[in-house]
Formats: sequence, structure tokens, C-alpha cells
Amino acid sequence: MTHSSAVAVTGLGMVTSIGTGRQKFWDAVLGGRCGFGPVKSFDTHKYRVHVGAEISDFCADDYVLEPQSASIGRTSQLAIAASRLALQDGSLDLSSVNRSRVGVYVGTTSGEPHCIERFDERYVQGRMDEVGAEFLNGYPCHVVPFHIAHELDLAGEVMMIPTACAAGNYAIAHACDLLGHGKADYMLAGGADSFSRITYTGFARLGAIAPELCQPFDRNRKGMIPGEGAAILLLEPTTRAVARGARIYCEIAGYGLSCDAHHMTAAHPDGEGAARAIRLALQHSGLEPRDVDYISAHGTGTLTNDRLETIAVKKALGSHAYNVPISSVKSMLGHTMGAASAIEAAVCALAIAYGRIPPTMHWRDRDSECDLDYVANSARNHEVRVAMNNAYAFGGNNSSLILTARSSSAS
Amino acid sequence: MKTAMKKRVVITGVGLVSCLGTSSALFHRQLCGGTDGAGRIVEGDPQGMRIPLAGRISCFEPELYLKGRSLRPLDRTGQLLASAAQMALDNSGWAAEALRRTDVGLVLGTMFGSMHTISEFDRRCLIEGPACVSPMNFANTVINSAAGQTAIWHNLRGMNSTTATGATSGLVAIGYAADLIQCGRQTAILAGGADEFCFEASYGLERAGLSSNAGHEAECFTPFDARRSGMRLAEAGALVVLEDWDSALARGATVLGEIRGHANCYNPKWNQPGHSARGIIRAMRGALEDARLSPPEIDYISAGANGSLAGDRNEGLAIKAVFNGQSDQVPITAIKSGIGETLGAAGALQAIDLLETMCSGTLPGIAGLEQVDAELADLNLCCKPTCVDVDSGMISSVGFDGHACSLIISKPPAQV
Amino acid sequence: MEKEHMDIEVIRTKVKQSINRVTGIEAAAISDTASYDADLGLDSLAILEIAVDVETQFKFQASDEELSSIHTVEDAVSLVKKRLSVEVG
Repeated sequence: MTHSSAVAVTGLGMVTSIGTGRQKFWDAVLGGRCGFGPVKSFDTHKYRVHVGAEISDFCADDYVLEPQSASIGRTSQLAIAASRLALQDGSLDLSSVNRSRVGVYVGTTSGEPHCIERFDERYVQGRMDEVGAEFLNGYPCHVVPFHIAHELDLAGEVMMIPTACAAGNYAIAHACDLLGHGKADYMLAGGADSFSRITYTGFARLGAIAPELCQPFDRNRKGMIPGEGAAILLLEPTTRAVARGARIYCEIAGYGLSCDAHHMTAAHPDGEGAARAIRLALQHSGLEPRDVDYISAHGTGTLTNDRLETIAVKKALGSHAYNVPISSVKSMLGHTMGAASAIEAAVCALAIAYGRIPPTMHWRDRDSECDLDYVANSARNHEVRVAMNNAYAFGGNNSSLILTARSSSAS
Repeated sequence: MKTAMKKRVVITGVGLVSCLGTSSALFHRQLCGGTDGAGRIVEGDPQGMRIPLAGRISCFEPELYLKGRSLRPLDRTGQLLASAAQMALDNSGWAAEALRRTDVGLVLGTMFGSMHTISEFDRRCLIEGPACVSPMNFANTVINSAAGQTAIWHNLRGMNSTTATGATSGLVAIGYAADLIQCGRQTAILAGGADEFCFEASYGLERAGLSSNAGHEAECFTPFDARRSGMRLAEAGALVVLEDWDSALARGATVLGEIRGHANCYNPKWNQPGHSARGIIRAMRGALEDARLSPPEIDYISAGANGSLAGDRNEGLAIKAVFNGQSDQVPITAIKSGIGETLGAAGALQAIDLLETMCSGTLPGIAGLEQVDAELADLNLCCKPTCVDVDSGMISSVGFDGHACSLIISKPPAQV
Repeated sequence: MEKEHMDIEVIRTKVKQSINRVTGIEAAAISDTASYDADLGLDSLAILEIAVDVETQFKFQASDEELSSIHTVEDAVSLVKKRLSVEVG
């Protein structure tokens, strides 16, 4: 069986702090709307930072229809919502398909952190007898895609790929491989994470959280802002999408993955691992650096990431790096962890489909080491035939996903 | 996407840290000898709960395998995996110099990552405040931390990924890695998994009613036994080295076996009567189809059965359905009888024992199996070590909540 | 022992104990002027971990600027001394 079919993106579903559903999200992102505010889900008075990007208007009951919805965690709820929205957006009626050929791949950083946080609270309070079966049934991270599959009655390949802040890219990449191998007809692929005290505490202790705003690539950037969200892409072979008359946002042409093997929380100082992932992605897609029209950056807003990411892009694209607009939607959404690269892949798909690219917000002062075109502060009309989605994670995991307009794909 | 020629995927080395040691030959011999490695030691927990420490490797000394640097950054899951990786790299002949020249990958299968690390980090925040948490431990609160730590320790710069599908995670990881090599994305990948034994996981299993000692009158964790009462949690780290056959031959590697095919799927009706075996059936049939083999060509089955009441039954019924007509002949073993339920490490341990079975011609019996579940009486469940001539073997892995994975390994391909 | 009279040697010993706890390097093998990066080969995570251990030992919390200014054993000792005298003063 040869690995050959082009994979189309035919549906987009997302739940974010600035908008739920494709249209609201896209309007918000183009409009520079931001999701930052004081953290509400736990008390931050002992912390030095207090800002987060939580979703305030999510109603699980609108999307989670199975009777067990009360017992499933927030991450699963967000992921189910994003999945339903993707199916709706892609006009795919599950009753008309072979459900054992529909799979779900999700990426995450924390899985269901509230479950373990509750467990820990009970532990320190001496109330362990209150822990029931719901802990094991609801905590391990694999339950997120399993809950989606259970909710939607899907019986294909279902997997969690918990590669932290690059997980969405990994899930989408692996889903494309599965479709290419002919082992599935449709894939729901993306990422999800809910706001986590553990994550917030850790990044705060690292001194990585900005006090007020996330300002990727700006000279005065002060760090990242943890957030939450979910995004799911509906993927299918292009031939199938065409046959059923589906709207095709774009295709996924290829991907590149590498590992720095250097440091758990900091990228390699020479940016070579990230550059290698970009080169592998272009090679896999049959494209050249000069073909890239837009980059959705990892762009967390930390001093180190943004500087090293800039180095990596220049290493991989050469002088063309100066011609490619790069924006970071983390400037609006904060860092949604495992959801981030899935949300950003959706942004790439929308940029290709609509010829508009979102801004990097709050960009005020140029950093001499970050001297590329970051689409400062306003969205822009820009024809995008090839978009690159970069994401980097703890453990030195580097990922680049290439999305292309249909006629650009290497055949 | 660019089309790639389909490559053959072979196994060139193994590494393991388990309650039956770190030598694959000794591991297999002890299983054949009926050794019960996942003992029964009960200890007190600070909360006053008595938690069985069954399956915790009491003599694990990571500094024997991981030399020259402080082990502080690694937690137990990371140490298990990195130690297994050291042994796998040694066993397959990947020296440090070669790793500098080639980007070798890693796929980790894990159910919990390091739940103890995550929980400890959070408890310190609750008790002492957010300023007192450990930055090094934070790095290990991501579920794939062991994969990152192992890559750093051994300079593994290829694709680094993690699969989490519950108890089937490790076998899924091997299939995932095999696919990457098959389509030419990588030439060499370490694949398998690790999960540490910790109070948090043990307590969770007990509260979910899955442990053999969870409120049952008589505890029995023997797979397929009529008296079984649940599983025994254990820990391990295990990896196989997968390579593109041509590359393996070119570097003069010893080829131990070939990955012929695999499949995995989720069953949304896993807890509905009459439907619960279906996912396992589909996974087994899918693996056979992927391998282009038929049931009579499978010479033995390494079942994932672990003493679970529903799991073992469903797996047995699935074998009957898939191997209809052969199910009373194809010999079946279940190595968790001797090592307990090792979660993320299980798949690779089953693969390692399959390779030893192929090599030695003997498969281990199911330790302690005396009273076969009546519903499964017509399966050829081996209670004692049994002579087998294995060209192809199937490994089955069954999760607690609807997932199943099946993978087929054959003898090394004949060289032309 | 009152904080304002804590001997610099005691502070230095305790700082080296923190380094030992985090890195396994024997305290006796750590020179008073050792640089975290160049001499001890520590990465950013280990350096931060040592700082947190020192903060916990001496019961203060360093600011982000103070944390980023610690590159040597001596920097850590000076910071502790400064913070202890501030607490008394």
C-alpha cells in the first residue's frame, strides 16, 4: 500500500477565549481581540502573576449530549465541542459513514488536570476516602479522545499524543499518515487543554509568565500567558472530499519533526533542531523555502523562544525569511498548551482559504534579534498558497506542519 | 505528500528494566520457570492506607545504566525508560558515535507519564505555596517527559513522540514507530514504553475496582483463571529498536525479528453486553490484514490478559472469534501472570518475550493457571512452558476502557 | 542563631548543600568562587532549582531580577546575606 493520498482540511472547530466556532474565532483573531484577564479558576494571591486566558463562556451541555457528561473533565468537554463544531463546519453527517473508519487523534499537555488537582486536594486534606472510580475513569490523558469517540460513537483509531506544546501538530501529522495509509476515511485531529493550576504554577515558578500582556517578538516582551482551548480539524483524502462536494480549506502537504535532545524546558541555543524540522517539512512537502507565504509562529512571548525561533526560521529559509510574514496568535489567545498548534493550524487553513493573515498584537518596539515581519497589530490581506505552522515543546520537540492551497500541493 | 516506497521494519535490539531483571534471556527463562516477579509487599502510606507495593522493582539501580551525570533531573518513569534505552542501544550496536551521525527517534507509550511527579509537584504547591515548587519537577509534569529526558540522555535527535491509549499505549507506540519507518520518515526508532509504580496509580486502580485486591474475598490475579479477581499493578521500562531492514543490514546489525503488521481501534460500546469483545476482534483482524497473514499462520498468541474479569474474558472471546477453528490449537500465553500489569511497558515486554520464544522454541506457561474460566475452556491456554516453532506470533493488548491493539512479529526476513 | 549574625561561612555552607542536593556534586568539591555554568556545568533549570532550594532554606523569595543575576556560588551567598540583613533591618 503506497502512502500517497493528498489530505484535505474540510472542517474546523474550535473553542477559545476569544470565540467559539470557526466564524466567530476567525473574526476575533483578525480583529485583534484578546482573551486575557485575571485568573478566576483558582486563587492567585500567593503568586506574583495573576493573568491568564481562560474561556469564560463555555457551556458543556450545548455540545456534550451523552448522559455521562457531568462526569467528564473540562478538557474532554472542550474537545468534544470542537469535534462537533468541526463536523458541522465540514458538513459531515456521521450517520452516513462507516464509523469504524473514523478516527480521533488529540494532542495535549496536561490531559485532565482538574482530576489530579482534586485528588491532591483530598490527599492534603486527609479526605482520600472521597476518591472514587471517577478518578481512574476520568484522569489519564487518553480519556480525552476516548470521550470524543464515545460521544460520537466512533470506532476507528483513537489516540492521545501528549507531546505537550507541539501536540496539535503531532496529532494532525499522524492523522494524515493514517489517512495516507488508507486505514481511515476521516480523521478528527487536533488538540485540547483546560486551564491548569499545575501548569500555571510551574510556568510562574520558571518566571515565564508575563504580568499583563503577551507580546511575541517585541523588544519588551515579558513572557507567555497560560490559557486553555481546543481545536479539531476534520481531515479526509482530497479525493473523498471532492467526491462528496465538501468545501476544502486547504491540504496538508507534509510535516517535519525533530528533537533537540538538549534541555527539557529551553530550546537549543543554535536553533538547529527547529530549523531541521522546518527543512524536513519542506522536503516532505516537495517545496522550497521560497514557496512559503506565511508562518504561524510558536511565538510564546518569552525572551528565549521568540529569539531562537527567529534564528531557526532564518537558518531554514535563508534570506526568504525576510519576505515571509510571521504572526503569533498567542498574542491574543495566550498559550493554550496542547491546543495551541491545532488552533494555529486552523489559522493557517483559514489564511489560505480567505487570503487574510492575523496580526501579532501588542507589538510596539523592534528587537534587533527579532527583525522579521511579524504582521504587527493589524490583520493583512495576503495571498497564502503555502503556510507553515511551527510549534515547539518541552523535551526539545520541534514540529513544522505545511498546509497548502489545493493546486499548490506537490502531487 | 511525497510518496515513499514501503520499507520492511525489523527489530535489531531490545532493552528492559523489569521485576524479572534486565536481561531478555533471563526474563524469558524466569517466565518459563513460573517465577512470580511482581511479589506482594504491603507498605504503609503517609495517609495510613495500606497499599500493596506489588510490582515495584526493589532492586532498580539506574546509576548502573545511566552513568556520568546527575540523575536528579529524571524521575522514576524517566529513569526506567532511559535505562531501558541504554540497554536497547547497547544491544543493537548503536554507539554514541553513531548517534552523533544519525538522528535516531523515540516513541514512548505510557498511561500516566509520571503521575507521582505531577501529584507531588501539586501537593507541594498546596502545602508550601507556589513559590516552593520544584522547577526540575515541573519539567517532568508533562506526560511525555520521559521521552524528552531519554532523548537528552542518549542524544536521540530524530522524531520524538508519545502515545497514550491507556494500557495499550506501549504496543501502540511500536506500531506507530513501525509505520514511520515503513514510509521512510525515519531509519531507526526506539519504541516501547514505561510507567512507574506509584501510590497514586495503585490507589486509583483500587478505587475503580480493577485491582485484584479491591474488595474481593480471595485475591487472584492469574490471567484467564476462573478465580481471578483483577490485576496487579507493576512497573517496568522496555524498548525495542526498530529499523529499516536495508539500513540495518548496511550497518551489520543483528536482526531479531520483523514487524509484519498491526492495528488498533476503540470500541465505543466496550461496556455493553454483547459488544465488549468487538474492538479486540477488529484489532486482531486488522493486524492480520495489515500483515497479509491468515489466522492459521499465527503460531502463538501473547495475550495481554492480566487477571481482569472483563478484559480477560473479552480477549478470550475475541481469540475464539478470530481464530475460529484454530483457537483450540494456537497456543496462548499471558506473561502478565509473572510480571503484573506494567501498563506502558507491557507491549514491548510482550514483544521481547516473543523474540525470546522464537529463539528458544519454548513459550512460557501462564503462571498459576489451574482453573481455566469455563467460557474459555476451548482455548489452548498454556499452563506450562510449551515447545513451539514460531514463524509468526501475535501480541494482543487490551485496555481497561475500550481500546485494543494487536501486532504481529515474524522471524527475521531471509536475506537475498 | 539570629539572622543578622549568621556567619557568611554558614551561608556559604548551606548554599553548597543546596547545590549538592540538586546536582549531587559534593559540597567539598565546590569552590567558593565556582561559576554555575563554566565550572559546575549546570543548566538553567538546575540553577533555578538551586535558587528555589536556597530560598526555601533561608525563607525568602528572590525577585526575577535577583534570580537572573545569580551566576556563581558567590552571587548566591551575597544575595542571601543581603536579604537576611534586609529582613532584620
